[in-house]
Parts: sequence; structure tokens; C-alpha cells
Amino acid sequence: MIEPTAADANDGPPRAATPAISVRNLSKAYGDNRVLDNMSFDLERGRVYVIMGPSGCGKSTLLRHMIGAEEADAGQVLIDGLDLQSANPRQREEAKRKYGVLFQSAALLNGLTVAENVALPIQRHTDLPRSTIDLMVKLKLELVGMGNAADKYPYEISGGMKKRAGLARAIALDPAIVFYDEPSAGLDPVMIGVIDKLIRDLTAKLGITSVVITHEIPSIFRIADEVLMLYGGRIAFRGTPQDLRNSTSPLVRQFVSGDPEGPINAPRQLADLSERLIGGARRKEAQA
Amino acid sequence: MSFLTDLIVALGQFINRYLAVLGKAVRFGAQAMAFGVRGLFSRRIYPRHELIVQMDYTGARSTAIMVLLGFLVGASLVIQTTPSLARYGPAELVAGVVGVSILRTLGPLLAAIIFAGRVGAGFTAELGTMAVSEEITALDTMGIHPVGYLVAPRFLAACLMLPACTVLFDLSALCGGYVVGIYQFNITSEDWFNVTKQFVKMSDFIFGLSKSVVFAWLITLVCCFKGFHVRGSGIEVGRATMQAIVICLILLIISDTVMSLIYNFMYRMEWVR
Repeated sequence: MIEPTAADANDGPPRAATPAISVRNLSKAYGDNRVLDNMSFDLERGRVYVIMGPSGCGKSTLLRHMIGAEEADAGQVLIDGLDLQSANPRQREEAKRKYGVLFQSAALLNGLTVAENVALPIQRHTDLPRSTIDLMVKLKLELVGMGNAADKYPYEISGGMKKRAGLARAIALDPAIVFYDEPSAGLDPVMIGVIDKLIRDLTAKLGITSVVITHEIPSIFRIADEVLMLYGGRIAFRGTPQDLRNSTSPLVRQFVSGDPEGPINAPRQLADLSERLIGGARRKEAQA
Repeated sequence: MSFLTDLIVALGQFINRYLAVLGKAVRFGAQAMAFGVRGLFSRRIYPRHELIVQMDYTGARSTAIMVLLGFLVGASLVIQTTPSLARYGPAELVAGVVGVSILRTLGPLLAAIIFAGRVGAGFTAELGTMAVSEEITALDTMGIHPVGYLVAPRFLAACLMLPACTVLFDLSALCGGYVVGIYQFNITSEDWFNVTKQFVKMSDFIFGLSKSVVFAWLITLVCCFKGFHVRGSGIEVGRATMQAIVICLILLIISDTVMSLIYNFMYRMEWVR
């Protein structure tokens, strides 16, 4: 297969075979810490991809590169065939219409009501009359079950409602791709279930490609068509949820089972720390 | 030898780092100015009502504090200066001293310092909180330029409202001085106005107003830039706000001195009258 160059990728409309997202040899380091190490993968259209991995493995860094919020040291991210980093401002602006992002904190503008937040990208990117925008906003809010909170400010609603309002804003322009940054963070199990169902429903109803960053194992099995696990700046595992369940990789098994003992470093350090603290206290008790 | 090399390298890195920040800040300021002007003709840069909201916040809501502090500064200046002047000549000369010092330096500078404390700190805290809660990144991913949407209306509002606040501060200070001069030191109204007319020129007032536009530009640039680049938690917002105000105060006083020297030079060359 011939790899598309940036110049090829930026010319003309996307071909049907073009993946929704292509990450090519992506590398990023902060000082000596190499967070993304020559990472490459393609994500096809209309599927739910979950990107998981232990804390600090580079999930959020990868997301920031995919949404064009950060510049890579090397490599490319192609959205619908367009390289965000080398694109001109007009192309970037066009590309940004193709995806929406649900941030971990929902990132609603606090000075605007929920409806105004959802209307913001529509006003910015279209010349539609006010009445049409209002109707679109209403539809999007109904879709996420937030029709009755349109006039509330973000500080007046709960965390779960903020997430749903953020999702309504992310899909305001009917994007082809939606990125979710830890959508279940800080939510109760029932609300996590609601958000998971929304992600599945939106993917099925609107045919969008969903990229979900999470390490909520039950959510992963509920929503994912395919799972990518990051470790050490690389893709350590890629497969269906069934493959994940049946994996014999010690890394995957430790992550899925939540076992503190295993090849993943951070929990081992914490386990050692816990052993030192508790062991020390026990020794003191024994001496006493 | 090795110590000297290390020192030179460290110095080079320090200069390099600060020049990079300075370059970013200048680019940020230029973007804010360009978006501010473009926004007057296009509704897509920032909502029109946002400019009105910012003008209300930066200007209208600063009215009371400007009037009160201006009056007290003018009164205090006359109380402190008149006895010393009276020892060497007529006390009514204080009207000229107050007029010139308020219009040329004290009015614009003190109004800018109050403005930095009240409005600039608010800009940094507000934008810093937005940066920490990913609102600025969210705007960018929606294809909305954050500098255009958030900074441009603040920049325009500050550039319009700080000169207005300066006029208010100047007038209040002159009134404060006049009231104390008349009632405390028994200077007649006629003497007060005659001396003021002799000392104070229109160019003093225009010079003061020009300074306030530069001050508004500096305050908005520093405070918005610091707010935009807050990373981490809420503690960083407080730290950035404190740093922004300190930098503002330093820059205000340095730029005031530089502009005074330029004005003085122009005055000596008889380019202004």
C-alpha cells in the first residue's frame, strides 16, 4: 500500500476509502519524556473506537494532537485525509467543522446558557437565520435529553447534564467524527450508562465515527467496536472487546483486571509504597 | 573556564526564553488588535453585544471608583503642596501645579493603575479560569479563534474606556483640588482659574489621553496574555493574576517615564505648545 503524502492528502475531496482518522509516525516528547513514540494507526468511519491505557500513557496527548490543539515533534494526523499541522488556516477551519469534541470537564462557556453554547459553532460557521439556529439547537438538545435545560447556565446544572450539553455542542454541526475525552469521569454509574448509551445511539443514528478516551472497563465493553491500548508511547494492543477479554498479554490482562501486580509500572510503584507504609506500621505494631 | 561557559550558556538560554515569550506576546497583541478592528465589520469574530458588555464592565462600572479616588488625589495634592508653595510665593500657583501634574502624569498613570487592579486583574482571572477548564481549547476546536472571540472585545473596550476613565479621573482631581484650594486655603475662584489658564495647555490634556491609550493596550496585552497561558489548577490562576498586575505596574511606570521624556523633548523642540 502506498502511503499518502501530505500534499496528496490535502488535495481534492476525501475518497471513500480514506480513513476517518490517520495517525502516521506521530512522535511527541516533553523534555526527556517521550510520550508518543512513532505511533501509527487508521480509524475507519462509522465505528466506536476506545483508546485506553494507564494514567500518563499519552491518551490525552494523542487526543490533543488529533484535535489539532498541539503540534507534533514528528509525524502527521490526517482528518478525512487532511493534515491539520500543514494545512493552511482556511483548510484547518474547514477541517474543524468535521469533528466535535466532548471535553472531560465539558468545557461549556460559563457566561452563556446551554442553548447559547450549542448555538455557538452554528453561528460561527453558517449564515443561517436565527429561527433555524434555534430549531437546530432544540433538536440537538432533545437528542441528548436536555431540552428542558436550554436556558440554564452551566453552573446551574449537574456534571452529567454538563456532559450531555457538551455532547449536544459537539454534534451541533453534524460532524463526521466526535472525540470524547474521559466522558465518564466524575459521574455515577447510572449516568455513565446514560452517556455510554448516548455514544452508541449517536454513532448508530448519525453514522459518526466516535473516538473515546477512557479507562472505564465496563464502558469499554459496552460501547467499543474496537479498542486500542496505549503503553510506553505505542499501541500495545488493538482488537475488539472480545479480543480484549481473551487477550493473553500480561499488560492487557493486568489493565483489565486492575491487578496492582504486573508489568505496568505505576501501580507497582504505588503497591511498593503501600507495602512500605503498611509494612512499616505493622512492624512498629509488632515491636510495640 | 567551564564556569564562564556555563554562565554564558545559562544567560543565552535565559535571554532566548524571554525573547520567545516577548515574541509570542507581541504576536498576541497584534492579533487582538487585528481581530478587534475586523470584528467591527464582521459578526463572526465576536458577538457585538460582547463589546457592549465589556465596555460596561471596564468603563461604566469603574466610574464611581475613578470619581472618588480622583477627587481625593486632587484634594490631597493641594493639601500637601500649598503650604510649601506659599512660603516662596503666592499660594494660588498651586492651581497650575495641580493642573499640569494631574493632566500630564498623575491622572493617566493613577487611572491606569486603578484600571489594572480592577479590570486587568479581572481579565487574567477570567481568562485563566477559562484556560484551566479547557474553554479556550474548546473554542479553538470549534473553529472559533480564541483571541478574536475573547481578547479582541476586551482590547477594544479597554482602549475606548481607559481614556474615558482618565478624563473622569482628571476632572474629579481638578475639582478636588479646586474645592480644597477655595475652602481650605482661601484662594479665590478667579485667581484659581487665571493661574490654571496660564499653566495648563491643551497639549497637556491630549498628551495625557494619548498615554492612556498606550496604557490600555499594555494592560490588556499583559493581563489577557497571562490569563491565556495559565496551565494547571486554580492556584495558577491566582499566581498569574498577581504576576500580571506586577508586570503591568512596572510597564506602566516605565512607559510613562519614556513617554514623558519624549514629550519633554518635543516641548523643548517647540513641536508642541
